[in-house]
Order: sequence, then structure tokens, then C-alpha cells
Amino acid sequence: MSLSIALTKGRLEKATVEMLKACGYGTEKLDNKGRALVFPDTKKDIRYFLVKANDCITYVEHGVADVGVVGKDTLMEGGKDYYEMLDLNIGRCRFIVAGLAGHNPLNKTGHIRIGSKYPNVALEYFHSKGKDIEVIKIDGSVELAPVLGLVDGIVDIMETGATLKENGLVVYDTAAELSARVIVNKASFKMKQDEIMALISDLEGMVKYAEEN
Amino acid sequence: MKQIQIPGGMRDLLAGECAAKEELRKRISAVYTAYGYQPVETPLIEFYSTYQNTFTSLKEETLYKFVDESGQILTLRTDMTLPIARVCVTRFGQDEVPLRFSYCSNVYKVRQNFAGKRNVVTDCGVELIGLDSTSDPEVLCCALDVMEALGDYEYTLEIGNSDFFRKAFTLSGISENDAAVLADLVDRKEMPALQTFVRSLDLSEEQTAFFTKLPLLCGRNALEKAKQVCFADELRQEVDSLMKLREILTQLGYGEKVTFDLGKVPHLDYYTGIIFEGYISGIGTSVLSGGRYDSLLSKLGRDMPAIGFGVKLDYLLETAPQPQTKIWKLFYPAEKAAEAMIEARKLRQEAPVEMIPWDKDIMEVVK
Repeated sequence: MSLSIALTKGRLEKATVEMLKACGYGTEKLDNKGRALVFPDTKKDIRYFLVKANDCITYVEHGVADVGVVGKDTLMEGGKDYYEMLDLNIGRCRFIVAGLAGHNPLNKTGHIRIGSKYPNVALEYFHSKGKDIEVIKIDGSVELAPVLGLVDGIVDIMETGATLKENGLVVYDTAAELSARVIVNKASFKMKQDEIMALISDLEGMVKYAEEN
Repeated sequence: MKQIQIPGGMRDLLAGECAAKEELRKRISAVYTAYGYQPVETPLIEFYSTYQNTFTSLKEETLYKFVDESGQILTLRTDMTLPIARVCVTRFGQDEVPLRFSYCSNVYKVRQNFAGKRNVVTDCGVELIGLDSTSDPEVLCCALDVMEALGDYEYTLEIGNSDFFRKAFTLSGISENDAAVLADLVDRKEMPALQTFVRSLDLSEEQTAFFTKLPLLCGRNALEKAKQVCFADELRQEVDSLMKLREILTQLGYGEKVTFDLGKVPHLDYYTGIIFEGYISGIGTSVLSGGRYDSLLSKLGRDMPAIGFGVKLDYLLETAPQPQTKIWKLFYPAEKAAEAMIEARKLRQEAPVEMIPWDKDIMEVVK
């Protein structure tokens, strides 16, 4: 049976396509894509489509995509109605807690205000530390919020830490390690198990190979 | 212009969809009737406390709540199992078991906004109360007959057993709290986090391998694969009893339709034995689900085993064919109303007739 795979657009997409290519999948159409959004595999009975990270979960939960590749950050913030079957070990980064130098939000007693694009992640992390927390949702340049005094700290994704440093922010803790995951629609897994397991084991082989080299 | 809207997750069903749903309901009910189940209806509204006291892991935000005139919190029923369990305990005596109930009712659940999810669905199911796991094959057979009756679909019924997991974690000395986390990871087949978590528990090599492989003990040869990773005889016995179950269902001609998934461990505080879900090709969620819940009735004050399952009709509507009924039109002049109705009565022997008054002074039938 044919498989539909939703890939998260951008950086993850490139790394995922590289992995698929190395496993012998026919991903050529994804290399010169123009404005198209759906791409048939040239060797296997698979079609790929490119979506934004949040939409990847939605497509998989509805079974429109059988399989999705999406960052753990998005999974942590969104719904949970799917199987999370593989860590691709690409797109590695972290959720961090940061604040101004000398002002660790974790040491503040009483009410803490945190700015984040990921309110659920921030809430869960601070609740697990038993803190009284209020999250203010910020959509872009989260680093600005503590600098201007809107919040006591932020929970955000960090890759290199350069932006944080430039704005005088200090990392106080890691809330979670992140990387790209393969998620699978539950009903698809029942009806197309052989095809899906073949894909997973191909990709798993690549992950192991990359670890060893 | 401001339109009148309906609350999120709700929808109106119009003629074609209603007919499709009614057809499904009829087919399913016929199976239930044939198995000796008696229909039951319960109120749409229950006390919130009934749910709260029974389901320990109830997510409060998923229930519709309001307050009655005496200040008690009410809720729209979110399932039919609890209302029927309540009926059993309050309306029937201990010696009247086994009881077989069928239902076809709307159930309500608050779900994520803007995700294309339904907050009301029609649940069409059965509950068999007072018989232990000896009756599992009969109930599974009924579920398979229902899947068969839904129409010309490619389907599969997947069976798991929560006792398998329960025994495994008890034998490994895993605490209840850790087991709950573990069950969640296994059930969602969250492999990366599962591997990390299992390593953090103090387990033998065999047990570590068992729990890491558990989510993948599914599909073809699931039971054979399970047998290989079992680390105790108690676990092998559980697999054996599932193999016996498979044998029975194969004898009935359902061998190809049945698969097993031992990594299926949802709601560990609710299900106590077999659990099963039915899937149809082309629908992204399970359409039938059920299982054994031997400890539920004791929470309501009577210790009795029970098992049940239900079909969510609305999930099937996207693929269900819409039966077309031809309706004849009888046009008639207002002053000949009585005559027209006598004519319509005759025509209705053959087909449904709708009557439409008009200005002409003759009657006309459009077929």
C-alpha cells in the first residue's frame, strides 16, 4: 500500500531527504521543487509533502499523512495522538531556561513570569520544579522580553547560544534535549505495518550508521 | 450579517448523512440483538461526581460541565460505560447477572479547538456484565461480526492484553508510579523516550530488552515474537491464552482479520484484561474500541467483572455510502386537499410522497 510522508519544511527537510536518499529512496523531485508541495518518490510507492511543523502533527493525527518527520519541540508543545517511533538524531538543539546575568528565574521566590513561544513546555517545566509561574506568549525575538523587563526569564530553543549572549542573557538550565522524530498515525500503523516498519528500519539503520561514524 | 453559529466541535447532520448513519446503526444493532443484548437509554446528563469518583485519571477539562438549581455540578455524559455500570448497580440485583446491554447514544467530550475534531459522536456499543474472561471470545466474535456488518471495507481487529503488561511490571518490581509512565510510553510507542526511561529503571538485561521491545510486539507473528522476549513463565502463560483465543477466532474464519499488539496498554487504571480496537482502511482513527474492565463496578459498590465495546458511528460517515431515497412529488390544488391525500395514501404503498400545493386546478405526480 502507498505511504504518505509529511516532511517539516526547511532545515529538517534537507537533513531528512539526505537520510532517505542514502537509504535508496527516490527523492530527486524534492531537490528541485519549484512551487510544488507534493512529490512522488521515483522508486517507491511513496508521496512526500512539505508542511509547517505544527501542521505535520495535524496531518498525521488525521491520517492524511501516514508518517511525519517533525522536531521534538513541536511535539512537546502540541497534541499526542500518534506513535513517536524513532529519533532521527538530526536537527539537534535544546530547550533552555535563560535570564539576565545574576537574575536566575529559578531562584526567584514567589511569582515568576516567563516569556516563550512554547507556553505548554514552559508551564510544564516550571510546574515540575514546583514554581508559581505565569507564561506570556511571545511570538518572535523572545530574547527581548527579559531585556525590556517584561518577564523574569525565557524558555526557548537554543542552537548555538549566540543570540542569547549578544543580548546579555545567561542560560540557567536545559529543559529538554531536542531532535527530529518520526511520528506515525495509529490507524496507518495497523493497516500498513509492513511498509511503515520497512521505512522505520531503513532510517534506523542510517541513524546507527551516523552514530558509529 | 452576523450568522447564528454552533459551538466548536459540533455539527449538524443533514439528510444524506443522517440516512447513512441510520443505516449503520441498523446494521450494528441487528448484530447486538442477535447476540441477546437488550437496548438501554440513560440520561444525557450525569452528576460530575459520578465520573470524578470512578475515573481516577479523568481529565477535567474534557468534560462539559454546568451547575443545577441546587448547586451540584452536572456533566454531559462522556461515555456510555459508566452510565450503564451505574444502572447495573442501582437497578439490578447481584443475582440477576449476567446482564447484556446495548446502546446507541451521543457522547460528549471537549477536544482541542481548530483541529478538525468532533466533540460529539454517536457511540453504538454493548456491555456484558457479570461474566469473567471466559466470555472474551464471544465478545470478540461479536465485535468482528460488527466490523463485517459495517460494509464492504478492508478492516482489522487488533487485540492486546493489559494483564501482560501488568504482570511484567509487577514481576520486575517496578513501582506503580513508574509503571504509569512506562505504560504511557509503551502505548504511544514513544521509542526514544522509552529506551531512556527503561535504562533509568533498575532492571535485568532480559527485562530491559522486554520493555524496550514491547511496543513492537505487534503485527504479523506478534505472539511468537512475544514468546521469545518473555522473561517469566507467568508472561508466557498470558501469551498462550492469547494464542488460544487466536485459534478460536481462526476456527470461526476470522484468522486473517485479527492481529495482536501487546504494546497496547491504554488507561491502565481502567482496563484489566483484553483490549481491542477495530480499524478500517482509509480512516485515520480506530472506529471500534473496547476491552475488559473488571474493577470498574467495584468502584460503584459492586464487585463484578465486565467487558464492552462500542463503535463511533460518526468516524465512519466520511466513507459510508449515502443511501438515496427517491421521493415522489404530488402537486395539488388547495381545494382538493382531501382527494389529494387519498391519492397520496395510495401512492405511498409504492414510494415516499411529499405533497406540494399549487395554483393549477389539477393534480400531478412527479416521480
